[in-house]
Amino acid sequence: MTLEAIAAIIASGLVSGSLYALMASGLSLVWGTLRMFNFAHGVLVMIGAYSGWYISDRGGLAKVLQPLGKKITKNSEDWGLMGDILYPLGEWILSIKSGFGLGIGVPLAIVFCGIAGYVIYVLLVKPFVGKPNADLIVIITTIAGASFIQNGVQVIFGPRYKKLDRILEGRPLEVLDTAIGLQEVLIIVLTPVTLLLLHFFLKLSKLGLAIRAVAQNDDFARLVGINVNQIYPQTFVVSSMLAGLAGLMLGGLFFILPTMGSEPLLRAFVVVVFGGLGSLPGTIVGSYVIGLIEQSSAYVFSLYWAPVVLFATLILVLIFRPRGLMGGKES
Amino acid sequence: MLFQVENLTSGYGKIDVVRSLSLHVDEGERVGLFGPNGHGKTTLLRTVSGLIPAKSGLVVFRGEDITGADPHKIVKKGLIHVPQGNQLFPEMTVQENLTLGTFAARTDKGKASNFEKVFALFPRLKERLSQRAQTLSGGERQMLAIGVGLMGMPELLILDEPSVGLAPIIKEELARAIGEIADSGVTMIVVDQDVELLLGICERLYLIEKGSVSLETTDVSQVNQAEILEMYFGKVT
Amino acid sequence: MIRFFDANKKLLAAAGIVIFLAIPLVVDNKLLIHLAILGMLYAIVASNWDLTLGYAGVFNFAHLAFFGIGAYTSGIITVKLGISPWLGIPCGAAAAALASIIVSIPAIRLRGIYVALLTFACSQLVLLLLLSQPLITGGQQGLTGVPQLQIGDYLFRESEFAHFYLVGALLLCSTIFLRRLVTSDFGLSLIALRDFEEYAVARGIPLARQRLLAFLYSSIFPGLAGGVYAHFLIVASPDIFGFSLVTLLLSMVLVGGVATIYGPVVIGVVMIFVSELMASSETMSELFGISSGPVRFMFVAVLIVLTMRFFPQGVWGLIKEYAARSRASNQAGDDTRT
Repeated sequence: MTLEAIAAIIASGLVSGSLYALMASGLSLVWGTLRMFNFAHGVLVMIGAYSGWYISDRGGLAKVLQPLGKKITKNSEDWGLMGDILYPLGEWILSIKSGFGLGIGVPLAIVFCGIAGYVIYVLLVKPFVGKPNADLIVIITTIAGASFIQNGVQVIFGPRYKKLDRILEGRPLEVLDTAIGLQEVLIIVLTPVTLLLLHFFLKLSKLGLAIRAVAQNDDFARLVGINVNQIYPQTFVVSSMLAGLAGLMLGGLFFILPTMGSEPLLRAFVVVVFGGLGSLPGTIVGSYVIGLIEQSSAYVFSLYWAPVVLFATLILVLIFRPRGLMGGKES
Repeated sequence: MLFQVENLTSGYGKIDVVRSLSLHVDEGERVGLFGPNGHGKTTLLRTVSGLIPAKSGLVVFRGEDITGADPHKIVKKGLIHVPQGNQLFPEMTVQENLTLGTFAARTDKGKASNFEKVFALFPRLKERLSQRAQTLSGGERQMLAIGVGLMGMPELLILDEPSVGLAPIIKEELARAIGEIADSGVTMIVVDQDVELLLGICERLYLIEKGSVSLETTDVSQVNQAEILEMYFGKVT
Repeated sequence: MIRFFDANKKLLAAAGIVIFLAIPLVVDNKLLIHLAILGMLYAIVASNWDLTLGYAGVFNFAHLAFFGIGAYTSGIITVKLGISPWLGIPCGAAAAALASIIVSIPAIRLRGIYVALLTFACSQLVLLLLLSQPLITGGQQGLTGVPQLQIGDYLFRESEFAHFYLVGALLLCSTIFLRRLVTSDFGLSLIALRDFEEYAVARGIPLARQRLLAFLYSSIFPGLAGGVYAHFLIVASPDIFGFSLVTLLLSMVLVGGVATIYGPVVIGVVMIFVSELMASSETMSELFGISSGPVRFMFVAVLIVLTMRFFPQGVWGLIKEYAARSRASNQAGDDTRT
């Protein structure tokens, strides 16, 4: 293997690993507190990408608002004082013909994902918390939810793909004989930063501390005054926002499709189990390891076999060491 | 009366463990609960603190009916339950555990000084401040658990089996600390198997058998220790 | 009403069979018959899923893979090796059975969520393996040119009778097989393991063996059904392993009623018609403007969640409850009168 090839594998492995880390950490958080798997996590990634596109692109929200803008600017004279106030609004709407841009799109998309995660929790998880076999029921309901949302998005946006603008454009970076796109560099840099922020959030903030407490001993958490039933949705929201961020990055690199979340979700499952359910550091380390394994398999065997290796790994881990790399708590 | 349980019945599924149990605690009292294992003491505490629902009966604290209330709300009212089994947050440090105890505090006033109070009682915890809870010894974990409870500034502190599995020297240390806590004005309910320990701390004892109170006594000398040992271990010939 | 049913069980069963035999003679619409055949095939898969999901209480995500393996195995050996479909189909079932054993070995040692994950991973693995060998399996496009069933010169695809009766008979055999199984000691042991695992094991019920058998038994008829499916549609496509079909079949089991067998059978057939109705009806297109294909999956998804929330025992479970209550009140009525 040439140096060039190794560098290319490492680079793409880091990109994959970063994306998986973002997704899997959300899953791991939910598992840690609720002891449940959110099969709708993949569609949250997709929602991140779509909402980012919708807000920032000219084909999205901006386009939908155009008729409203026209109507306001044309008729505002007839509305007296209200018209005077609304006219600038109408003008502004017309001016954003090319979309609200990524600057607004990205943060709003992340917020929207948080909201979506909350809705998913309330409809699909909350009614079953505390019931017997809740974890299995939630697998079923979140699968159903994912199916609903995925098909719903297809109905609304159509099955053809969209493309999110890259956050960074320009000439690719040359490192060790291999070219890395700027967007990829962004991902490789931004992800550890985000994860570091997540770490500090969990370690230092009141909510973060509470989330960790619930994950480690939920009964004692109650006795210490933590409202565990509120921690659950809050964890879900944090998890969903992480998923949304992953979706935004993914959307900049690949096509935005209603089904774009399924493959990453499968990878995230492998990662979460491999790294150790309930262990966030294990999950993150596992993400990068899995990312590198995947990219090396793709190079050594072929693109078709990479996922096979991945799933075989998952199966082996489940058989021989269900606790994963760093071992976590089982339910 | 600070605290009262009236004809409380609770249990798991169809099985009643606590049956029509009644007891009361006055402000500033130290009350002990003892009795054979499996007869409902822990279930009683878990019902009182809201972890399991009551099937019937009342739990009243400061004149307020708290039966079936959410655990985190009960804790904020000043009723703090330190569960048995050295329950803590195992992967968090001593400092983090204690910090979490402050979530229960009713007011923010005096929160900072709580750490000092706990360290005064249990100096060893200060030494181990950045150690993870799971690395502490049994005695230290129990101290930490009580310390966490204290951080919540309780009016009524309930300890479930604090002395279980501890060496006699540690038990003594613990007993002294518990006494000091009571002296500082905290009303206490202590559940333990070690009746002698209870006799040393408490003014009034309840014997709980088969889910309800079968004996209540304030005259500690009345408690015939041989009888009790017999109850636990059978006749000694 | 329940009284009438109880008293005349044999008569009703006979009447049912007569009606069934008459359907293709009476119903002229080819599409409806086609859907009925599909529905019955899915009903077989769904009711067998009930064995592991409902009775054994094990979340086997790889169940659909048994169906798919049956389809692809029979498809591949008939296309590539020129073997008769009548031989291919049992081979498909054998392959499915083998797969069930392979999957179950690690699965029996794991609990709850881990089994779900493991079987999920296994089914994805099977799909990936199939896709990775396009020369044998036709890759994404699927395997085409699968021969149809025939007896002598009579080609099954010429009329709808043949497939209808064949699949109907298969469904009948499968249902009888399953019902016999769940009411036998084996079935009771599964239920005991599901509900009171520690006690059952302490009483000597071999956990690993019973679960492995449950996996095995639940794979046979889906394997056969898969084979028939491939020769019925003369194609085997990777969509069988897709998310949408899994969700659809899961809904059949859940809405039909876990641990009932009959529920998934009935709802399986009904569901196909409802789903087709949603996909093709005029009103659907009007209401939603665009293609209403995805809408039926949304409908299925909502149905699943509503079922889990409000009637987790499923339609058949509700019927059973109603029947029990009717019988009880009838009994009470009889007692007071005599």
